Amino acid sequence: MDLFKIDFGLTFWMLVAFLITLFILWKFAWPAILKGVDKRADLIDKGVEYAQDAKKQLDNAQEESKKYIAEARHQQAEIIADANRMKTQIIEQARDEAKVAARKEMDNAKLSIEQSRKEAEQNLRDQVSQVALDIAGRVTRGQLKDPVAQKKLVNQYLDEIETKN
Amino acid sequence: MKKLRFILSLVLTVTMGAMAARAAAAPADASHSIPAAKPDVRPVARPAAEDQEPVADAKVAEMKEKEAEHGKLNIKETIFEHLGDAYGWEVPLNHHKRIPLPIIVKVKDGGWHCFMSSRIENGRIYDDNGVLFRVATDNLYDENNRKVLDDEGKAVENPCKGKLVQIVGAHQMPDGTWEGGHEVKLAVDISITKNVCALFIACLIVILLCLRLAAWHKKNPFKAPRKMRGAMESLIVFIYDGVVKPTLKEKAPRFAPYLLTVFLFIFFMNLLGLIVVFPGGANVTGNIAVTLVLAICTFFMTNVFATKVYWKEILWPDVPIWLKFPLPIMQVIEIFGIFTKPAALTVRLFANMMGGHMIVLILMLIIFIFAEKMGAAVAGGSAVISILFSVFMLMIDVLVSFIQAYVFTMLSTIFIGLAQARHEEHHKEEPAKA
Repeated sequence: MDLFKIDFGLTFWMLVAFLITLFILWKFAWPAILKGVDKRADLIDKGVEYAQDAKKQLDNAQEESKKYIAEARHQQAEIIADANRMKTQIIEQARDEAKVAARKEMDNAKLSIEQSRKEAEQNLRDQVSQVALDIAGRVTRGQLKDPVAQKKLVNQYLDEIETKN
Repeated sequence: MKKLRFILSLVLTVTMGAMAARAAAAPADASHSIPAAKPDVRPVARPAAEDQEPVADAKVAEMKEKEAEHGKLNIKETIFEHLGDAYGWEVPLNHHKRIPLPIIVKVKDGGWHCFMSSRIENGRIYDDNGVLFRVATDNLYDENNRKVLDDEGKAVENPCKGKLVQIVGAHQMPDGTWEGGHEVKLAVDISITKNVCALFIACLIVILLCLRLAAWHKKNPFKAPRKMRGAMESLIVFIYDGVVKPTLKEKAPRFAPYLLTVFLFIFFMNLLGLIVVFPGGANVTGNIAVTLVLAICTFFMTNVFATKVYWKEILWPDVPIWLKFPLPIMQVIEIFGIFTKPAALTVRLFANMMGGHMIVLILMLIIFIFAEKMGAAVAGGSAVISILFSVFMLMIDVLVSFIQAYVFTMLSTIFIGLAQARHEEHHKEEPAKA
């Protein structure tokens, strides 16, 4: 068979061509290509790792932030509740104070009214006594031997006062 | 876009079918007219009939005979002509002109001769400063230019058939042609034949593509290349990460250059072989010489860098003593195994690629067989089927081109990996004991 004959010329050139190709590629192509490919693979691996780490961190951060937010919400609610409580307290206090103050005022007013009434009474008493003294004086000054006359005189004076007032 | 491509390919197929049918019709007509023409030509082919006349050159007679039988189909010869090597490269649609390639030969007891293959085209004798060359005849001829016949009366095939030979003892006639003489084998023939040229082209392509990729990597580290460079890189990474690294592990950078070169070399030669016209069409990887050289390279890579453990496994394997002493049964088997591995590599690649080419050739020849036997109409019909089938076969051949390159590389990697064996069990046990 022709096909199984090994031709010397072809074998020779094949060997030469293949070895030259191998040499050239070994020297000038493969180091650069394989290094490049390996480096890029490393870079990609690292990139993926980094991204995974970053994602994990991000997840953690998010969780933390959620926690913080929940806490903040809780605190907020607490603060609002506190504020509300405080508000009512303050209002109550204010109301109480106002009540106390009002009562005091009223008491004062009552006192002053009493006083002025007492003063007025005193005045009245003074005036009455004065009047009485006047009357008595006048009575005494008149001939007040007669009780009817006396009585008539008293009434007369009393009427006088009444009309005066 | 896909639709357009499909329509284009369909149109192409139909056109090719029509062309092939026409081409097939021509030899069919010729074969019908041949019986009349043959008797006129035959006497020239058998000059012995007119005894005293000076005998024509055997090769010229043979060529004339062939010319006369042009319409007739010689399936075996056609197939082997296409599968084999040739001086000069065929061009489409022309059987007489070939792209000339340099011929480099050394004659017995003489110097080197170098000339273009166009000088010896069509069986011509070329006189290179008094040394005559010609492509050898297909059959053996005796000194009277008669075909040498064997016991059954069949012509004996020339062992140098299709190769360049030196013609010794011929004398020139007044009209410039040569008479007589006999063929002498050349001492060395390292001509740039079609296969060698295809080989160089494949080498150049591989070198250029790889150097371009390397330059790109030097320029842009950390960036993935695009287009052709990207395609090359994906091939390289496919082999490097998929085959070399998992098998050789930390030894990978040492052997990767060889394995990758082998892969790309085989792959590109396979693909070039599938292209029908000039830069392709040579059946390089389907030639046993080429695959043999590749397998020998793997053989050297395997055995030269082999570890002690590997040699110990061969020369003193871990088997019962009676298997290795006093009769070295295992050693013989193992040493035999060293050589069967490259032999298997050689034959696998060669047979696969040659088979693919052969099937496509036969599918094409079916058209001509039908044309000869049944006429143009049947041939036209079979042309469409043949072409569709051969398109399918060529597609499978594209796949096979890749697979065979891959398989060769993978097996080379495994063989090299086996030869890199170390005392792994030993290393594994030590920490357990500690």
